[in-house]
Amino acid sequence: MSEAPASGNVDGYYLRAENITKIYSDGTVAVRDVTMELHSSEIVGLLGENGAGKTTLTKILSGLLPPTKGRVISPRGRIRFTSPREALDFGIGMVHQHFALVGTFTAAENVALSHEHPFARIRLARARERLETLMEESGLHVPLDVPIEKLAVGEQQRVEILKVLSRDVDLLILDEPTSVLTPLEVDELFVLLRRLRDAGKSIILITHKLKEVQSVTDRIVVLRHGELVGDVVTVEATTEHLAKLMVGDVLEQEAGAVELSNEEFPVCRDRHAVDRTTDSVLHVESLSSRGNTGEVAVDDVSFDVYGGEIFGIAGVEGNGQSELVECLTGLRMPFEGTATIKGTNILGKDPRQIYRLGVAHIPEDRWELGLVLPFTLAENAILGVHRWEEFRGPLGFLRWGKINHHVRSLMDRFEIRATGPNAPAKSLSGGNQQKLIVGRELAKDPSIIVASQPTRGLDIGAAKYIRDLLVEMRGAGRAILLVSADLDEVLALSDRVAIMYEGEFMTVCPPENLNRERVGLLMGGVTEKEPVS
Amino acid sequence: MTESQETTSRLLRGVHRTLTGLHPAFESVLAAIVGLLMGALVMWLWGYDPIVAYKSMLLGAFANKWGLADSGAIAAPLVLTALTFSICLRAGMFNIGAEGQLIMGGLATVSVGFFALPPGLHHIVALTFAMIAGGLWSIGPALLKLTRGVHEVISTIMFNWIAHFLSIFLIGTLLINSLSADQTIAVPASAIFSKLVRGTDLTYAIFVAIAFALIVYFVLWHTAIGYEVRAAGLNPSAARYGGIRTKRTMFLAFLLGGLSAGLGATMILMGSSSTHAMYRLHGQLRNIGFDGMAVAMVGRNHPIGILFSAMFFGGLSAGGRLMQLSSSPVPVQMVRLVMGVIVFTMAVPELAKIFPSIKEQTVTLGQGLKRLVTSSRGRRST
Amino acid sequence: MILALIGFTLRAMVPITMTAVGEVIGETAGLFNIGLEGILLVSAFAGALGAAAVGPIGGLAIGMGVGALISLLFAVVSTYWKGTQMVAGIGINLLAIGFVEFGMIRFSSNAGAFSIPEQSQLFRFITPFGLLSPVIIIAVVLPFIIYWALKRTRVGLILKAAGEAPEAADVSGINVNVVRLLAATVGGALAGLGGAYMSVAWFGFVTKGMSAGRGFIALATVVFSGLNPILALAGGLLFGFFRSLGLWVDTIPGFPIPAEFLQMLPYVVTLLVVSGAIGRVRFPKALGTPYKRE
Repeated sequence: MSEAPASGNVDGYYLRAENITKIYSDGTVAVRDVTMELHSSEIVGLLGENGAGKTTLTKILSGLLPPTKGRVISPRGRIRFTSPREALDFGIGMVHQHFALVGTFTAAENVALSHEHPFARIRLARARERLETLMEESGLHVPLDVPIEKLAVGEQQRVEILKVLSRDVDLLILDEPTSVLTPLEVDELFVLLRRLRDAGKSIILITHKLKEVQSVTDRIVVLRHGELVGDVVTVEATTEHLAKLMVGDVLEQEAGAVELSNEEFPVCRDRHAVDRTTDSVLHVESLSSRGNTGEVAVDDVSFDVYGGEIFGIAGVEGNGQSELVECLTGLRMPFEGTATIKGTNILGKDPRQIYRLGVAHIPEDRWELGLVLPFTLAENAILGVHRWEEFRGPLGFLRWGKINHHVRSLMDRFEIRATGPNAPAKSLSGGNQQKLIVGRELAKDPSIIVASQPTRGLDIGAAKYIRDLLVEMRGAGRAILLVSADLDEVLALSDRVAIMYEGEFMTVCPPENLNRERVGLLMGGVTEKEPVS
Repeated sequence: MTESQETTSRLLRGVHRTLTGLHPAFESVLAAIVGLLMGALVMWLWGYDPIVAYKSMLLGAFANKWGLADSGAIAAPLVLTALTFSICLRAGMFNIGAEGQLIMGGLATVSVGFFALPPGLHHIVALTFAMIAGGLWSIGPALLKLTRGVHEVISTIMFNWIAHFLSIFLIGTLLINSLSADQTIAVPASAIFSKLVRGTDLTYAIFVAIAFALIVYFVLWHTAIGYEVRAAGLNPSAARYGGIRTKRTMFLAFLLGGLSAGLGATMILMGSSSTHAMYRLHGQLRNIGFDGMAVAMVGRNHPIGILFSAMFFGGLSAGGRLMQLSSSPVPVQMVRLVMGVIVFTMAVPELAKIFPSIKEQTVTLGQGLKRLVTSSRGRRST
Repeated sequence: MILALIGFTLRAMVPITMTAVGEVIGETAGLFNIGLEGILLVSAFAGALGAAAVGPIGGLAIGMGVGALISLLFAVVSTYWKGTQMVAGIGINLLAIGFVEFGMIRFSSNAGAFSIPEQSQLFRFITPFGLLSPVIIIAVVLPFIIYWALKRTRVGLILKAAGEAPEAADVSGINVNVVRLLAATVGGALAGLGGAYMSVAWFGFVTKGMSAGRGFIALATVVFSGLNPILALAGGLLFGFFRSLGLWVDTIPGFPIPAEFLQMLPYVVTLLVVSGAIGRVRFPKALGTPYKRE
């Protein structure tokens, strides 16, 4: 909970959005009749799930998107922004979730991009000076002459913020800024935000994380399905109330059953003792691998996963989790170490061979890896198994009859909503797409399921479905390797958790042995002297 | 539901599905219309009468058996070079090398004149030689792409020109016809396809083209390897995740494309050509590669669509000849101009959005049909 | 002998370099135009007609204008209409062939070529290297100017941003589509100049096959140059050199290698160069994709 300062200049307002509605060209209503006010010296949290309309609303406020209906006004009169530049000139700056930086430029060049007359020679020296003063004032520090793409994600975000600050904005909008930060970096960011607020600026913080929004904001605005369902003063709101506003009555039953103090999912407390006397399903020893940039991404990692257990890997994204999963699923070749499935080596093999050994892989990016979007459901359902005997006849002909039958049973079993096996995959919602992938993978009857960010981008209903499924698989004796940036998810579902930082496992232990503080420190790289259990 | 109502609703559902599935074809038709209109504009600006011109073109192309046959004869090689482009496009690459692969195929075809074989066998040998030559010529760019990452557009163009000069050399030396220094030896009678329609250029060669197109269709949509090629073309990362070796699919696609282009040469040399020989300046083989690309795009890169599209372009060219003789003698080169406009128009993906009213009408048509379907099903309950 | 070689190299370099530099500008901003071949051909033709009508400078200007116009159209399709750049480029090439062939029939007695009367051609300097056109000077100097502009002015930053990270550019207040349109227009004008030069200031006539793959060689040169205009100049000189080598050797009687193989040389060399160069160069991330703001 934040200390309530003299928040907001409540008599006058800085900005007022009236009856904003946005309907996209394909008919989706992203924002529906939203009216809200913003004051100076105030941090407002914009809370909502994926698809609630938060990003759309703020894009409208910052001039990147025209509203279908409604207007944005300020005390100076009615404002209609037709370009981002106008908004910036007015004083509204947005820090995006996916940074709007030019990777090959340095920090100075990125800042210079927003200033100065087109045909002027770049006064890089001047840009640097300006940046340096800014860094002093704000307390943010970044290397100025390195191409952005070579910086760490936290640093890139700081450059993004500096870039916006250098334009002397009065309103700063941050879109899910903490999803790529360690707990320590999050605290630093919040200190900065409070400092900016005290200096008179307005700040909108977009997030879906309840605890964060309660810790730093003065006011919380809740969006659900594009509508404004709540506008409360932070100190007066309870977590449960906020959660209910966010999720709504449709899932009220589940919201009620959810214990929000600790997790937003079914609790699996009944962890039966996993039989570790038999051989593990997955055995990894001293695995080391390089990442795409040539540096070591996975650093001497060893662990085992047994049947009937969920082994979770937690940690901020970008610490080697993706590369580790790639090594185990045939998408990357490590330079050291061993990994076996029930004794058979899996390193250096291609995915098809690994699938035959009983491995299922739910990839972290369902659009880039998991599905071929223009393909139909049927065509996607056989991805990876298209050469298996039940789907392929003699001479390599595909047995579409059998395949369609298989898809239909998948649709049944996993409640995938689509018009039929011939519907293109891109017409499905995110949840249904993920269910298709999960169904496809489980149909392989795997010994081990590698699930990477399995509930990312899904609404609560779909996420819960997937998590229930994983727990069910565990009960059926399968081994599960769960990699997730959602800390609560990992802690709730896993029997044992490893925390990954810069390619190493900081610790491996049952989640009961961890509290938030310890986790935060480990995720932030602070080593400890406790033995690994 | 009664018998007749069942069948009617099933019929309507089928029509509805076909109409929605034909949506891409719809864009091609639109582009063709735009192209023809542009052609009419140029004609009019240049002082010709477009209506007379187009009328004679239409008559020349499709009005009677001979027009159709001539259209088909022109279409046959286009089908194959179009397949070259489309197969590789489906695999995610731009193979502009049909011209060169076609030329190499042509050289191989005429080379069967060096030895004698019974007809039938001679045909098969000629076709095989042509395919191999075309295939070999497309392997070069494929390997360059796979090993050095060379963009296939540039490498295939370079190979085209190398083939061009190489063939001039070979035509003037190895393959030279002792009777006429400008020509190669001719494909012998035992390897020529006989005429399908007397007095036209159409021969049985066209069946080879059609058969090949159907084979390509089956391979791409009904075999595992075809599935892999299409997947790799649409999403290489997901394909790799699915255990598909994208390098292999790329290579195979290029190879198949080369085979197709090589075969294209046989359509002319063993079929429609009058002399069944190649010339120093290539005359009859010129531009078939590039025209094939236009055919491919209008045919939406689908073998069946290509068959129709090739017929359309064949009709344009055949009709164009008649148009030259009409009272509005537009030069036949107009056809290529029209084709260029059509292709350029096809580059705009959301054509239908630019003509929204037309799209609206098709949608309402579809909805109307749907209502018919559901209402015929609902009749049962009342 | 050497002098003649140098002279020819300089003359042959111009269309390649001009087109390549123009495409460098376009690709920096994110547009990949394989229709260069067609643009060269059409502007050579238009330039020839223009020169016959209004004199050499007018001819060159008309050629530039035509090139700019076609590129502009290509850019509009590729940006605002979200078109597929490859397909549009191929369309341009086809269009060009058809248009020029058609136009030839209309405007010249000889269906294969159109000659420009002597007085309508651009003057040439008489030098020890042979007849050299003043356009050559432009072709040598321009790459340096463009290089400086790309590296040191804000215009260069803007172009690079549009090609590398259009979302970032948009947020910084840059209209990505307009930038790309302008880049394409300028690039097209340069290619147009290269094409018109061929007919008005070099050969003195235009044939329907005149471009002879030069547009694609220019593309290869762009790859080789890694989007550096000065290296594009080097590439153009390289091509010109090999072209002239082939012609020179042809004049030696009894030379063992047949003429056709020598004519192949420029294309083979291009292949080798491109194959060797690929590892080193890096292209703008947004090259070839239209920008949508959402």
